[in-house]
Formats: sequence, C-alpha cells, structure tokens
Amino acid sequence: MKRSTYQNKYQILRYILIFLILAILVVVLGSRKNFGPLQYAQLSLDGLRGGAIYALIAMGFVIVFNVTGIINFAQGAFVTLGAMFTVTFYNLNAPLPKSLHLLLSVIAAILVTTCIGVLVERLTIYPARKSSPLTLIIITVGVFITIQGLSLLVWGADAYVFPAFTTLEMSDRVFRWLGMVIKAQSFWIWGIMVLVLVCIAYFFNFTLLGRAMRACAVNRLGARLVGISPGRMSLVSFGIAAAVGAIGGIVVAPIIRPSYDMGLSLGLKGFVAAIMGGLVSTPGAVLGGLLLGFLENVAAGVTKAGLKDIFAFILLILTLLFRPQGLLGVRKTTVETDGAH
Amino acid sequence: MNAIPRFNSNRNAIGWFAMTAVIALLGWVETVQPMGVDFADLTNGIVTMDTMVRVAILTIVLVGLNLLMGYAGQVSLGHAALYGLGAYASSILCVRSGDLLGVPAWVLGSWWWPWLVMLIGMAFAGALAYLVGRPILRLQGHYLAMATLGLGIMIYILFRENLGFQGQHITGTFDGIPGVPRLRIGNFEIWPISRYYFFAWIAALGAIAFGLNVISSRTGRALRAIHDSEVAAQAMGVDVASYKVRIFAVSAILASAAGSIYAHFQTTVSPAPFSFVGSLELVVMAAVGGLSSIWGAPFGVAVILIIKEILRSRLRVVFSGASGEHEVIFYGILLVLIMIFMPEGVTVGAVRRWRLWQSRKREQVLSPAQPQAGVPR
Amino acid sequence: MSRKIHHLVVLLTIAALIVAACGQATPVATEAPSPTDTQAPPPPVETQAPPTPTEAPPEPTPTEEMIGETYKIGFAPAITGPGASLGAPEHETGQMLSEQLNAQGGVVGPDGVRHPVEILIFDTETNPDVAVSVVRRMIEEENVQVVVAGTTTGISMAIVPIITEAQIPYISMASSGAIVKDPDTGVVREWAFKTAQDNFASAQWQALYLTAQGYTQVCHLSENSGYGADTLAQAKRAFEPAGIQIVYEDSFERTGTEFPQVASVQTSGCQAVVVGAIPPASSNVSIALRDALPDLPIVHGHGTCNQDHIDLMGAAVAEGMVSPCGKVMVSDTLPDDDPQKDVLVKYVDDYTAFTGKPVNTFGGHGWDALMLAVTAVASLPDGLDLAAQRAAIRDFLETGVKDWPGISGVYNLSPEDHFSLGFDSLTFVKVENGAWVFFPEDQW
Repeated sequence: MKRSTYQNKYQILRYILIFLILAILVVVLGSRKNFGPLQYAQLSLDGLRGGAIYALIAMGFVIVFNVTGIINFAQGAFVTLGAMFTVTFYNLNAPLPKSLHLLLSVIAAILVTTCIGVLVERLTIYPARKSSPLTLIIITVGVFITIQGLSLLVWGADAYVFPAFTTLEMSDRVFRWLGMVIKAQSFWIWGIMVLVLVCIAYFFNFTLLGRAMRACAVNRLGARLVGISPGRMSLVSFGIAAAVGAIGGIVVAPIIRPSYDMGLSLGLKGFVAAIMGGLVSTPGAVLGGLLLGFLENVAAGVTKAGLKDIFAFILLILTLLFRPQGLLGVRKTTVETDGAH
Repeated sequence: MNAIPRFNSNRNAIGWFAMTAVIALLGWVETVQPMGVDFADLTNGIVTMDTMVRVAILTIVLVGLNLLMGYAGQVSLGHAALYGLGAYASSILCVRSGDLLGVPAWVLGSWWWPWLVMLIGMAFAGALAYLVGRPILRLQGHYLAMATLGLGIMIYILFRENLGFQGQHITGTFDGIPGVPRLRIGNFEIWPISRYYFFAWIAALGAIAFGLNVISSRTGRALRAIHDSEVAAQAMGVDVASYKVRIFAVSAILASAAGSIYAHFQTTVSPAPFSFVGSLELVVMAAVGGLSSIWGAPFGVAVILIIKEILRSRLRVVFSGASGEHEVIFYGILLVLIMIFMPEGVTVGAVRRWRLWQSRKREQVLSPAQPQAGVPR
Repeated sequence: MSRKIHHLVVLLTIAALIVAACGQATPVATEAPSPTDTQAPPPPVETQAPPTPTEAPPEPTPTEEMIGETYKIGFAPAITGPGASLGAPEHETGQMLSEQLNAQGGVVGPDGVRHPVEILIFDTETNPDVAVSVVRRMIEEENVQVVVAGTTTGISMAIVPIITEAQIPYISMASSGAIVKDPDTGVVREWAFKTAQDNFASAQWQALYLTAQGYTQVCHLSENSGYGADTLAQAKRAFEPAGIQIVYEDSFERTGTEFPQVASVQTSGCQAVVVGAIPPASSNVSIALRDALPDLPIVHGHGTCNQDHIDLMGAAVAEGMVSPCGKVMVSDTLPDDDPQKDVLVKYVDDYTAFTGKPVNTFGGHGWDALMLAVTAVASLPDGLDLAAQRAAIRDFLETGVKDWPGISGVYNLSPEDHFSLGFDSLTFVKVENGAWVFFPEDQW
C-alpha cells in the first residue's frame, strides 16, 4: 500500500507535466485562430456537456462489464431506443399539459427500454452464458445491429425533433454570461448525470441487490456459494444499463435531431469513456466521459473540427497503450478487492 | 482401426478438389455460356459474377480474420479499415502518386506498378498491425478488440478527411478516388469480369492454402496450444504475445492484399465500405463460416453475400417500403443465433454435429470403445 | 507424405484455374440478349407491380394497336443511409411516375407500337459499394435500357466507370459537374447525363447575394459528406472572382452533439457564414450558430431546399435564412409565361397528392431524370436489340432534348453539354414564417 501511494505521487507529477505540455500545445494552436479565454471557456463548457452524455452512456458499459465481464456493444442501441421512444410517446396525442406529457413520455420510454434490455439479456446472453466472453461480445454486437435495423424499420431514416425540457418548445432558453452561451438543456444534462451517478452509488452501496451485484462482480463463484444467482444479477445489470443508456439518449435528444442511427457514434464514444475510466468503476466512467468530451472538443476547436471524432479514438488507443487499467484504476496485481465502486 | 476413414490428412485434398471444381465450373458457364445460359441464369439472376468476385475478395480477408479469431482467440473490430488500407494504397499510388510523389509516368503506366503497390500496401498494413498489436497483445483480455475498434474508426476518418490535409486531394474525401486502372500482366488485361473472377479466386485459394499452411506449421501448433490453454502454452515455453502479434500482422497483410484486389475490381475507392459497420459485417461472416476453420471462410462470405443479394432483390416484395439497409436486421439475428447455438460457426458446427451423429451410429455397430475420429480441430 | 500431396493439389488447382482463365481469352460479351431473354425475365422487382404489364390502358384505344416489348428503366436513389433525406423524395417521385406510367399503359413509339415501361427501383444505401453492385445487376441481369441512379456525387462518380464500360446511358441526380465532364481533361463523359444543378451555380448565387450585401469575408462550414465537400470546392471557385474571401473553412459531423467550429467562426471575423449541408445536419449547425452568434447572417446551399430543413430547426431559428433553390419551391409565384410553369404546377399537385408532403427540389431532380429517360425510350423504334436501344437512347438524349421543360430548368442537351442547366435555373429564396418564399434580387 505504501508503495502504491509513492507511485501515485510520482504519477501525479507526470500527469501535471503531460497536462502542461498539452496546454501549451493547445494555446499555440489556438493563437493561430486568435482564440481568447472566452473561446476556450466556451469550448470547455460545450465539451463538458458532451462529456456528461458520454459519461451517462459509459456508466451502462461499466455496470454490465462489472457484473458479467461482457463489453456490451448493444449499449448504443439503448441510447437510440430511449430517445426514439420518448419522441414517439411525446408525439402521441394526449389531453395532457405539455410538461406532464413530456415527463410521462420520458418515464414510459425508460421503462420500455429497460424491458428491452432485460429481454435482450434473457434471449441472447442467458442462453449463451457458458460461452467465452469473446462469443458474448460478438452476441452483443449482433444485438446492436438487430436493434438498429429494427429502429430503421420502425422509425424510418428521418430525423425527428424533440422539445427542450425547459421551454417545451423547439428553441431552448439560452443563457449568456460573460460572452459565453449556455443552453438550459446543458444544466439538465449535468444535473441528470449527477443524479444518476448518485443513484447508482446508493444502489450499489446501500441496497441488498446492489451489494449482491458487487459481490458477483468481485467473485462470481464466491457469490454463488453464498446464494447469489449470477444469472439474475446479469439480468438486473442489463436492465440498469438499458435504463441509464435510455436516459443518456433522452437528455441528448433536444440538442441533436434523434434518428435511428444516433446510438452508433454516441455508443462508441461512451465506450471510449468507459475504457478511459478503467471499465470497472462508475466514478471512473464519469471522469472518463467528462475528460473525453472536454479534450475532444478543445482539440477539435483548435485544430480542424472535421477531425473531431478522431481525437476520441486517439485517446482510446493511448489509454490502452499506456494506462490499460484506466485513469483511476490500479495495476492488475493489486486489483480491487474492496469492490468495484 | 482402418474401419474408420481418417479424413484429417485427406480432408484438405477433398476440399481442394471440390472447391476448384465448383469455381472452374461456374467460371466455365460464364465464359462459354453453354446453350445461352450464363452464370447468373443458374440462380435466376440472384447471384451474379459481381457477387462471386466479391466472395473471393472477402474470402482473403476472412482467412486472416479466422486465423486471428479462431487461433489467436482475439477479435478485430477494425478489420474493414485494414482492408481499406490496401484499397487506398492501391488507388492512391496508382492514380495520384504522379502528382503527390512525382512518380514518373512510365512507372505509373507500366503493368508491374499496381502489383508492386499491392506489396507496398501489404507491408504497410502488416507493419501497422505489428506496431499497434505488440504492446496491446501483451495485456490479458480483449484489449485488441477495443484497440482495433479505435484504430479502424481512426483510419476510416482519415480516409474520409483526406488524411487531415487541406487543399491537396489525397483520398478525395467522400467521393473517393475514381479511375483505378485494371490489373494487367504484360499486355494481358485481367478484365472482363470473367477473367477477374478467375484471378480473384486464384488469389483466394492462395490465401486458403497459406492459411492452412500456417495452422499446420510450428506457429499453428503454438497457436492451437494457446487457444486450448494460454497458461499451459506459456508453461511449455510458447511466447504467447509474440505469436498473437504475428498472426495479427498476417491477418492485416491478407486484408490489405484483398483491399488492393478490390480497388482494381471496383475502380473507384471511397470510404463507405471501410467503416465500423463494414468491420462488423466481416465479423458476422467469420462467425457464419466458423471461427477456427479456414475452409469456412468462403462459405461464411458466400452465405452472407448471397443472403444480401436475395434480400436486396426480394425483400421489397415482402415489406413494402423496406429497402437495403433493413437487411442488417437479418445479419444481427443470424449472428446472435449462430453465436448462441453454434459458437464455433455454422460450417464447423454442422460438420461436427454430423460427425458426432455418424460416430454415434457407428458406435452402435462397433464396440463402444472406439475413439472418435475425424473431429475437426 | 500427405503434405506433399497437399502441395501438389494446391499447385494443380492454381494451374487448372489459370488454364481455365486463359483458355477463354476472348470471352463472349456479357450480354447477348435474345428476344426470349427479355420476354421471360425473373419477376421484376417493383414496389407496386401491376399483375401484367401488358394490361389494356384505360383510354379507349384502337384494338389493333401493337404491344411491343417492355422497356425497363433502372432507378436507384439513396433510399437509406446519410443521403436518405435527398433520396426519399426521389424514391417517392419514382413510385408516383411508375404508377402514372402504368395508368397510361406505357409509351407509344414513333412507329405507333405501344410499350409498357417499368421503373425498377433499387436502393444504393448511399454506399458506393452497394451502388456499383446494384447498377451492375441492373445492366447485366435486368437488362435495363437506361440507368437513373446516384443521389449524391460520390455514388454517381462510382457508377460512371461501370456504365461507361457497359455502354449504357446513365442519368445522375447528383450535383457535381464532374459527373458529366472530366474535370481534369474537360472531356464530356460519353454515357453520363445529370439533372441536378451544379453546386457551382448555387455558389454563384451565393456570391451574388454576398456581394450585394457587401460581405467580403465569409466562413464556410460543410457537412462531412460528398455534397459538403463539393460545396466547399465550388464556393472557392465562385467566390474568388467576386472578391469574397473564405477566412475560415471547416467541416462538421452530421451526428455531432456540439460544434467547436462556432468558436472559430467567432474569432475569424467573418461577416456571414455559408453552410454546405443537407438536413438534418444543416439544421443542427444553424441552431448552434444562431445560439452563439444571433446576428450573423447564414446562407445555405440548394441542398437545403425542403421543408425538413425548416422543421428540424424550428421556424423561429430558420427565420431570415436564405439559399438558392430550384423554381419548384416557389412554383405558384412564377409568371404564367414561364416555360416551366405548367410542368411545375402539375408536379407540385401530383407530388403533394401522392405523398401528402410538401415538394422539394430533390424529387424534382428525380422527376427530370426519369422523365428524360421515359422520353428517350419513347423515341425508340420497335425491334432494335438491347445494345442498339441503349446507343439510340444516348443519341436521343444528346440530340433530341431541346427546350425540354423539366422541374429543375429547361434542358437543351447537346454532345458538348450533358447537363445544360446553369445559373438561371435556380432562384433565390428566404425563410419567412416557417416557409420558403421567393426572394428576388431587387429585394436584397
């Protein structure tokens, strides 16, 4: 333990050095475009908003990975489903005030997506539970492809519109502060991300089911011996991951134009965030998401914005090469015996 | 003992005869058109020469992917991009290198230049795979899947974004690079499509032969040992990571070669087929063909491409308003079902089941102590 | 021992294939269609296939009228994929025309023989790879007389080599001038025609507008697509002579959640932003620009000319945005003596009746391409073989299309010009109260 704190101190210095080099690079590149503090602040804020969405999606990856050891590539599909179901329910005619209608649509969409997540687990993961993780990962890829195809069949290739939560209109309220522009939806996104994080922490630390899932994550055989059914835990983890993914899709819906294929790129970014966070810890995933959003947006801002997506995947490769245990993780030799969360 | 035929040594020979006969027969139908029947008429216009050439090209990619997935136990989610590297290497160096690198016109016009470029592309893809794979494959777990996913999307974006350069046309962004020349040997042009069909299948059979050689070589034995138990292999002195890296590099080289052949077939190279979705499609094909079966590769490709053609031409009759992209639903369901019920792939799974059934039948006749024979690895 | 056998077999195999390949050094042409071939094709793939294409037309026709072979037009828009918002109206137009042609009982040739016309609809999925495969299928398996395909430039450019090799007339619905003319050598592509206005014409309108407003420094944001890349290239060509400088250019992703480009637009000091994108990307970037820089004028390209563009960003945001568009968007405000007026009004009525949606320019590109094809097949005398029919269609398109009013403009095709629409086929429009209105030059 002592040795690891010593290492940590050393590593912190190294991170500060890397950060300084990056900051200088960014400022040099930004100066070519006459960027002032205002632009950096705006880019960071926007980046953190995108990052919060990635964080929400990344949490879904982490929950499933922890309990089952599967990287669930179907997570992106849950994002699409969350957004598209909300749009569909909201577009139904109902004699309700707009805000209540929106709230009900959101709840219904989360419930439906959760059911689909549970169904996916029962229909595809459970029958193959004895297969290798590689097989299970490929199965989730298949699930993703199927759901995306079905979404195309149901909703068509069109983009849909969805009202902002604050105004319940298409155009959102915009706050202007010191020249910066912040949409009201950004606060919703940040707020909901924190809420989800707190709920998940509470669930895993203070409820029996959550603790059973943690036990399953730490040692599947041991958990089984004390009477926890890994199959049921896997089911619950898929349900939660689907719900969290759906929430991610719903909060982002007003700022993009949801369509059947929105989950692909968001899911991949969420996946990168989860890897950056080490794949086993929810706070790590949130940190990874925020950092990813921030770095990606600033890097795209100071260089060519068309290359924005590439930065996420450069970060992915760098993480895998230099810190495969993630930002918060510890080397495999001292792997978390005190639980993943 | 002789009562049980041992297929293991002769199985490949049978495979060769069957495969060659089918390919040659189909090619003969197309070129000679006996009784006015051309190749596509055999399947009522569903499977065309175009499809068959694609099957051959993707077979080359799949042999590499099968080696990687089946023998090294790693999945690549970015193989389409490695395939694209070959296609782009061929198209850039054959079409644009005069402007970009100042390659003289007599070289560009020569028949051997495209072949040389193909080798350059293969070397580049292999080197890239080696460099990325080496540090990542030293880690336990499925990190290669994640790394190849990232790598694949990065390469795709670079293709699409003109490698990040502004102004000068290198990859031509979305429109890609038109006008890739046809392949020639001396003055013999490998075109019309029936000639290219033979060329692509010769290359595909070459890849299969190569793949079979790899798995029956020292490397192959080491890989099988790794596949059975990594720990045990390590204990026996097998350098697990180094074998995995080598096989990853080999699969990248095969993918790149296939990409070059694709570029000269299609004559226009654009980024769309090399995206993440393209990589997923390759994984589906590998799953259908069988993860550790080299012979499964052409079957995996053929099954998926033929399903695709059938869906493309017949789906509309079933679902009005449905169109091409819906076919992915069937891929998805197919992939899930195969992975659940036959995780070793359809061809291998079917053969294994058949053999099992046969040996059971034989067990009833012979003494029950007979060892099971001919179970494919 | 078995290894040796194995190697021997490999060698023999490859040798056998080489012999087989070279033995037929002069293969027969890929299609040698006999009349029986075209009489008994596999059931055509069509959305609303009539039970028999030879059914009697509803009009009272002379009973002795001869019914000739069925003409086939291969039609492949991008029904799905990133180009779907352009391809879907083209697809709907194709379905509508197919229905109309069936109702009319096809076309009557110059020799009085009636020919049913089938429009075979395929999807390119906005993927050049699929497009090439689909077009090869149309040419070699379905034996179509003419190919109408390619919603976007990239797709069309991938198709061009295929149709040139197969010697089949091809009409593209995409915008780039490179489809009909090799930009490097200036040689007209023999078999390729197109019906969508050049991005260059669009950029010329933009330049005119920007100059009229007195803007000399602009930013250009283009979508990550073939269309976006071409708008940028054409804007550079058109803006420079007009003295307009592009001070900042960048691209953006259709699925992006935030737009770091806006910060660069802010600091680049440009007076207006030119956006080269199609909905929904055009709407997303407009919102981001409006939020951060509410007073900056935004000029779109003619790829945005459909209602989706306004609906997806909301009328309030779209208010005041301008773009060059085809006349179809403002058909009711055109003067009566406009040669296109009749065609436009009929198309608008038919399209809205058929789909229940407002018209857009892309459906118009599809209509022009298909109707050119229909007009061309109607000119064929009976009894030609397929290769001769294809050549005759090409010749007709080059020589027979004079003052031909379409949706996009009045066509005058010639051997030197396989497109012929220019600057004046577009008009300028503005968004007012959530709808497109005519915005003539004197109001600028």
